[in-house]
Amino acid sequence: MARIAGVNIPAAKPLKAALRYIYGIGATHAAAICARTGLDPAKRVNQLTEAEVLRVREDIDAHYKVEGDLRREVAMNIKRLMDLGCYRGLRHRKGLPVRGQRTHTNARTRKGPAKAIAGKKIATRK
Amino acid sequence: MTRSVWKGPFVDGYMLRKAEKARASGRNDIIKTWSRRSTILPQFVGLTFGVHNGNKFLPVAVTENMIGHKFGEFAPTRLFRGHTAASKKVEKK
Repeated sequence: MARIAGVNIPAAKPLKAALRYIYGIGATHAAAICARTGLDPAKRVNQLTEAEVLRVREDIDAHYKVEGDLRREVAMNIKRLMDLGCYRGLRHRKGLPVRGQRTHTNARTRKGPAKAIAGKKIATRK
Repeated sequence: MTRSVWKGPFVDGYMLRKAEKARASGRNDIIKTWSRRSTILPQFVGLTFGVHNGNKFLPVAVTENMIGHKFGEFAPTRLFRGHTAASKKVEKK
């Protein structure tokens, strides 16, 4: 077990996979970190020495915004749009798709589970 | 696809002239415009524009945060009044 970037404790997985448990680090960044620190991406986290873990930690600190900081940045960006009163902000406020997708059907990711509409006729089979 | 940087921000030419005029004169009169496609430039900060939404001119007070957005983003063209309430027929069921 190794604590990297605050509270994250990636498991006994290969380094390239374990790093992806950190919010803000995906496959690309994980590979880049391995390359920069000169560590074997396939090596398991519990087989890393303290010094190696430290190197990974420092590399992330130096190059990436992760976890809380990143979440805050994203939230601030959305908040900026909402406070501005621009179209994208309005869509965020209403919980509807922001980038011009259709809402006649679908858009369930943003709208959440479908709500039953009272009074809607149920299609009868012929 | 983002706009090429070498083109610079798109603004209808007359917007610049009008903004300059408003700045030179005694401010706070709304500049009416149909140019929803124009980018908001730093020169526009502090001025109030009346952005046409297809029906009327909605006042938009330009702040620093708005730079880089388009005027049209601040004047919604659609009005959503909510869905009709459930009919009584169904409630009786």
